[in-house]
Amino acid sequence: MTTLTGTSSKVILRTTGVSKKFGKFVALNNISAEFSRDAITSIIGPNGAGKSTYFNLLSGAFPPSSGKVEFEGRDVTNVAQHEFAHMGIAKSFQITNVFPLLTTRENVRVGLQAFVSRYDIWRPRAKLPGLVEKADALLAMVGLWDRRERLAKELAHGEQRALEIGMALATNPRLLLLDEPTAGMSPEETRVMMDLIVKLSKERTVILVEHKMKLVMGISDRVLVLHHGELLAQGTPTEVRQNEQVKRVYLGQREH
Amino acid sequence: MTQPAVPSAGWFDFAKRHRAILASIFVLVFPLVMPFTALAVNILIYGLYAVGFNLLFGYLGLLSFGHAALFGTGAYLCGIAIVHLGWPWYAAIVMGILGGAVMAAGIGALAIRTRGIYFAMVTMALSQCVFYLFYQAVDWTGGENGLRGVNVRTIDIFGLKLDFINPLTRYYVVAAFVILALFVLSRILASPFGAVIEAVRENEARARASGYDVTRTRLITFILSGAFCGLAGALMALHLSIVPIEILHIETSGMVVMMSLLGGMGTFFGPFVGAAVFLLLENLVSIWTVHWQLIVGAVFVICVLFFPAGIWGTILKRINK
Amino acid sequence: MAGLSFDLIALQLFTGLALGAIYVLFAIGLSLIFGMLTVVNFAHGAFYMVGAYVGLFLLSLGGNFWLCLVAVPLIVGTIGLVVERFLIRPLYGRGIDYPLLLTFGLSYVMVELIRIAFGKSGYPFDTPEILQGAVNIGVGYFPLYRLFVIGIAAAVLLGLWLFLERTSFGLIIRAGARDPQIVRVLGVNVSRVWLFVFGIGSGIAGLAGLLAAPLQGAIPEMGATILAEAFVVTVVGGMGSIGGAVIAGLLVGVVVSMTSLFAPEMAKVSIFALMAIVLLIRPQGFFGRAGLMS
Repeated sequence: MTTLTGTSSKVILRTTGVSKKFGKFVALNNISAEFSRDAITSIIGPNGAGKSTYFNLLSGAFPPSSGKVEFEGRDVTNVAQHEFAHMGIAKSFQITNVFPLLTTRENVRVGLQAFVSRYDIWRPRAKLPGLVEKADALLAMVGLWDRRERLAKELAHGEQRALEIGMALATNPRLLLLDEPTAGMSPEETRVMMDLIVKLSKERTVILVEHKMKLVMGISDRVLVLHHGELLAQGTPTEVRQNEQVKRVYLGQREH
Repeated sequence: MTQPAVPSAGWFDFAKRHRAILASIFVLVFPLVMPFTALAVNILIYGLYAVGFNLLFGYLGLLSFGHAALFGTGAYLCGIAIVHLGWPWYAAIVMGILGGAVMAAGIGALAIRTRGIYFAMVTMALSQCVFYLFYQAVDWTGGENGLRGVNVRTIDIFGLKLDFINPLTRYYVVAAFVILALFVLSRILASPFGAVIEAVRENEARARASGYDVTRTRLITFILSGAFCGLAGALMALHLSIVPIEILHIETSGMVVMMSLLGGMGTFFGPFVGAAVFLLLENLVSIWTVHWQLIVGAVFVICVLFFPAGIWGTILKRINK
Repeated sequence: MAGLSFDLIALQLFTGLALGAIYVLFAIGLSLIFGMLTVVNFAHGAFYMVGAYVGLFLLSLGGNFWLCLVAVPLIVGTIGLVVERFLIRPLYGRGIDYPLLLTFGLSYVMVELIRIAFGKSGYPFDTPEILQGAVNIGVGYFPLYRLFVIGIAAAVLLGLWLFLERTSFGLIIRAGARDPQIVRVLGVNVSRVWLFVFGIGSGIAGLAGLLAAPLQGAIPEMGATILAEAFVVTVVGGMGSIGGAVIAGLLVGVVVSMTSLFAPEMAKVSIFALMAIVLLIRPQGFFGRAGLMS
């Protein structure tokens, strides 16, 4: 893969001076950060800090108002959203986003198909080799194999979140972006999800957005703290926990 | 091993697997049960028009109110090929298909840039523009009076001479084209692209995140829809021997929307059921009142409120329960 | 340009403004309804048409034009209230296409009912006597009635602006267009607001139809044509934007009238060319931000 000039290829994703304005509202102001390959980096901050906006910028949902986003040394600031999967970046959404009326298996299969054939209008897709088997394997990895024939809309909330991870994995990503993966989950489901994330991080880089600070401190290699659209602090979990500004922001706030 | 999600009636499963053959048999005997063969031809042609529309609306989820432009362009180009260029019938039909596809590419390139709800508005406006353009081009289209003289008397095919004037022969020729079109449609739906169409309908953002170019998918589907509608238009021109300017009216766009909803969107045969219901209502109701459109309109409103799956769609649902 | 042509152009400009005034009234209702309810009202043209016919009917009963100016919007607005309450409201939450499909089906039915009641061929509509004749506006003689139309449209706009900016109900409407959730949380009965907005929008459309009738007569198909043209206005101006509807409506009216001066057969097509250009350069329209009103 392309190596960066001047910096080691340890940096898989970088934002330089990235800002985002919605009309007059400044959601993000001048965020410069580097994300290390093969690490788990968490982006945390109170609600309204701009985490989701930053996440959307990193995952290509919309371009920044100013600044640059680089993936593996390549400028991806204005690349269309659908190209991201083909570059090796996969995402899950904050609000569950699956294909409701397709079966669980088809949800994943269609994600796999994007890398084999997108515009073929003649060949029967049943003849595309191996997609169904690969889909089943991915479903097994996220614990949904025995729900594979159900419609996605019939799955429980936690199962749908797991399905989203499965679909993200279908793109064989080097970088996995997860937006509040445990949102709306019970403690048990949360634990299962966090275990899955740690397992997945062994082979790929994971960047995750969370507002439950306690949850991510234990598993992250690095943490970024956002507040009112600014980058408040970044470092290892220990460094961040001891940061005065971070303490002030979270002081008195009840942990969710 | 999990049970299938729902048990289905054995005969229905059988019918589903052999639907192509059963449909073909049905098509073969259909004209014999209709009061007029011309009505059966109309049902086939409008059914095909609705099939083209249904690909875009039922399967992809884009509601167009400008499909008259595609249907009408197909009809006019077929007619022009025969009347002004002196081309043989098969070349004229190809022109019709291309006309529908190219017009769809043009309208689509402009309309697909808009968000979902606006698509209906923009397609309606652009279709109205097409109407004005064809209306003005009197030398080619005959303007207000329509394009006359689209006369094809015999269909020469592989040495076989078919009398196109004979209603029953005409029906079978049209049916052959429609069956061919349905075969192509079933290939498209079963192809990888067919899965992409459904994914885009289900969740556009997720389709993008999975690596699908939603805009291009929409445009391609629109063009395919245009090809089917163009073919229907060409067949209509041959059937009527004239292309009336009314074919480009907003009403013609509205008509196919009604047929599709009445029949059942997103189903394979729904459009034909819808076309049949619409045209049968027109023919039967107008026996005792000239205001059949009021009845159809009221039925449509009732369907939107209470039977959004349409007649065929509701039947399918009931059987699958 | 010679002095004579300048007068001609100026007069044509005024004709464009008069035409534009009709478009503005029609498009405002469309934008209001879309901005608040997120419904593309395909029956808007039918309400416009009904306005013209109700006017005809009242005149035939012996009423006068001034009575119609008041009664028509009220009557058509009431029809709009009934439609929203019983036909559209059940469809909220079902998917964005359903209200559209319903209003389309409704327009079909309404056109048929009018055809049954009044016949297929349409009626001429006489300009009220007191508004006949022409007035010298400096560059030439201009039909009084068209000036009147411009004046009424301006008055309605002013009244609407005052209503939206100065009354508490108007405030609710503006807030609701921005964020329906907040308005609900504040205890406002959103359903009633939507009902009212639909009624206002339809009523203004009916008024537009009444005003247009002396210019083009009353035919059952008049609604479909202006609907397609109003879609051009909303694309150019931006859906959901009142200000956009005003500017785009006048612009479209002027474009049609100026084009018919130089190339009459392209007059109608010209506005679609305008729409195509806007779609290519700025698809959301000049003032467009869906859901917001400006």
